[in-house]
Amino acid sequence: MKIRLFVLVLTGALAAFAFALRAQELPQVLVSRQLAQLEGLSEGDTVRLATDAKGTNVREFRIAGIYEPTPDPARLGNVPREVRLHLPDLLDLTLQPAGAEHVDSINVALVDPASAAEFARDVNARTPGVVARPAEGAASLGSTFVVLERFHFAIAAVTIVAATVFLLALTIMLVDERRETIGVLRLIGFPARRILMQVLVEGILIAGAGALFGLVLALASEGLINRFFQWRYDTALVFVRVSPNVAALCVAIAVPLGATATVIASWALLRRGGLRLARR
Amino acid sequence: MTVLPFAWRSLVRQPARSTLGVLGVAAVGALLFDMLLLSEGLVLSMRELFERMGFDIRIIATDQLPGGSPDIKDASNLASTIAALPSVQSALTIRTEDADFERDAISAVDGSILGVGTGAAPPWTILRGRDPHAKDELVLNQYAARTLRVEPGATVTVQATCAGGAEAPPSIAFQVVGIAELPFESLDEPAAGTTLASLSEACGTPEADLADFLAVTSVGDPDAAAADIAALRPDLRIFTNEQAIGQLQQGGFTYFRQISTVLTTITVSFALLLITVLLTVSVNQRLGEVAALRALGFSRNRVVLDVLCESALIVGIGGLLSLPLGALLATWLDGILKSMPGIPAQLHFFVFEPTALFIHGGLLVATAIIAALYPMRIVARLPIAATLRNEVIS
Repeated sequence: MKIRLFVLVLTGALAAFAFALRAQELPQVLVSRQLAQLEGLSEGDTVRLATDAKGTNVREFRIAGIYEPTPDPARLGNVPREVRLHLPDLLDLTLQPAGAEHVDSINVALVDPASAAEFARDVNARTPGVVARPAEGAASLGSTFVVLERFHFAIAAVTIVAATVFLLALTIMLVDERRETIGVLRLIGFPARRILMQVLVEGILIAGAGALFGLVLALASEGLINRFFQWRYDTALVFVRVSPNVAALCVAIAVPLGATATVIASWALLRRGGLRLARR
Repeated sequence: MTVLPFAWRSLVRQPARSTLGVLGVAAVGALLFDMLLLSEGLVLSMRELFERMGFDIRIIATDQLPGGSPDIKDASNLASTIAALPSVQSALTIRTEDADFERDAISAVDGSILGVGTGAAPPWTILRGRDPHAKDELVLNQYAARTLRVEPGATVTVQATCAGGAEAPPSIAFQVVGIAELPFESLDEPAAGTTLASLSEACGTPEADLADFLAVTSVGDPDAAAADIAALRPDLRIFTNEQAIGQLQQGGFTYFRQISTVLTTITVSFALLLITVLLTVSVNQRLGEVAALRALGFSRNRVVLDVLCESALIVGIGGLLSLPLGALLATWLDGILKSMPGIPAQLHFFVFEPTALFIHGGLLVATAIIAALYPMRIVARLPIAATLRNEVIS
């Protein structure tokens, strides 16, 4: 009985070892995180790949790892369910006869990246039918983002215009509320210039506090917006980033705007006489 | 005096703040209107483009829309078989490849050439000249014609770069027989249209019978035609216009819808907050006046209604102004977004639809009411005697 059990265990162990050995020999692939999650795949699993749904020329591969695809804004909305193979394995899978293998593109790293345009011209002249382009020019993504940036800037400009109009309306009302106080100050001898300076400092302080509050709000919502869109599109792309430059620009616009609005609103009031302001 | 003229006089009495309030609402309302136009603009525009092409169904080799899918082989025979189905009126093979054009040392590069079969009328609109019929005839889009300085009758050399074509395709001389508006053409990209056979020749593989997709017109029921085609060729992917739009909506198009939703929410909140502050400060400054009106016999409801009417007037006038302002802004923003590379000339990001106008109006009405709630509460709970006494003492 013991011998039988020993033989059984030994056979099982040998089978498992042989299976593991075979799995080790299999060509390796990398699987995108999204595909792995969808199909419940993990590192070390054996998968079968074919070029069509019928399973023609099916091949077995071992998953060497799960990778996070490089975020690609041009493919926003398309969940990357991808597998990466070594090129010889892909050629073998697609059954391309020797000598007829083809690839879609070849990426070339130059010793001197500045000579990309010259290199592309040279390749185009020497190899008809092959189109070489510097990476910067080939991907029109750069200009896409320039356009999107311009669009966001235009939206921001309109928002600033609307905010400025409201700010002026509010400051006019707030200054009007202090009409009597200003009148009394004028009557006891404060010159208009001195009062205007006080209003300016007050305006700067209020605008500064407002700008800081706005930045804190932006920083707090940054993570929220990113998490929402990353969840919505299943991507690692960063949608909103409050960079030091952006923060500085916002403060540089908001503080002078707030202070100027306060001064403009006060200026109209200060031109009136003290008695009229104090309603006496 | 009725409520509305009374509220109007209150606003006119303080022209600076009222004008600024109205202008602020107009600017915010214009942005809101534009965001509503943007939310469905691309989808509406794409649907219009699809409908303008005159086809109900697109057939491709895989489940990606044309552009990334492999070619359909033996396309002409397939088109004939599909066209013979009782639910199908016509089927047209369409193939697009990259191409450079040249004439007398003037070149228009990084363009495209469209090859179409003979099953239906070509999908382009002839502006001058006629459709290509014979071998080596083509129509150019306006950009290519302008760049190459050609008119119908001229000859241009075409060098095509084709997927599945010869490694070194020949440069072929084509006669320009027309200037046309091609489907999905960009404003700054040369494009041409020719017959499928001429394009195969330009690719250096005259025997190839390939198509990127087949454009099918049903006899009236696209779903039934799609089902018939699917039964005939289950290996192909068949999209009705609505399905194609649906797939685009789930893809990259959602970005603009999401951004429009976020900006709409922010814009409405912004307007709400500011109008509330504007009205509250305004009411606080006029507490004595309101108390005096109450003492004179104005009912509580009447003074509350006055505040609501003031809010409605500010938002109403601002909202009306926001429509032409929004239309101008939309034209400007559309121009900015359309300068993205590869965007078809006929595609628009901001498209007007009546629903957007209703939502815009609804949101502004809601804003006017909600913004007036707090100042209305202040006025409703105002103690008349105490307020008048304070007014006299101060």
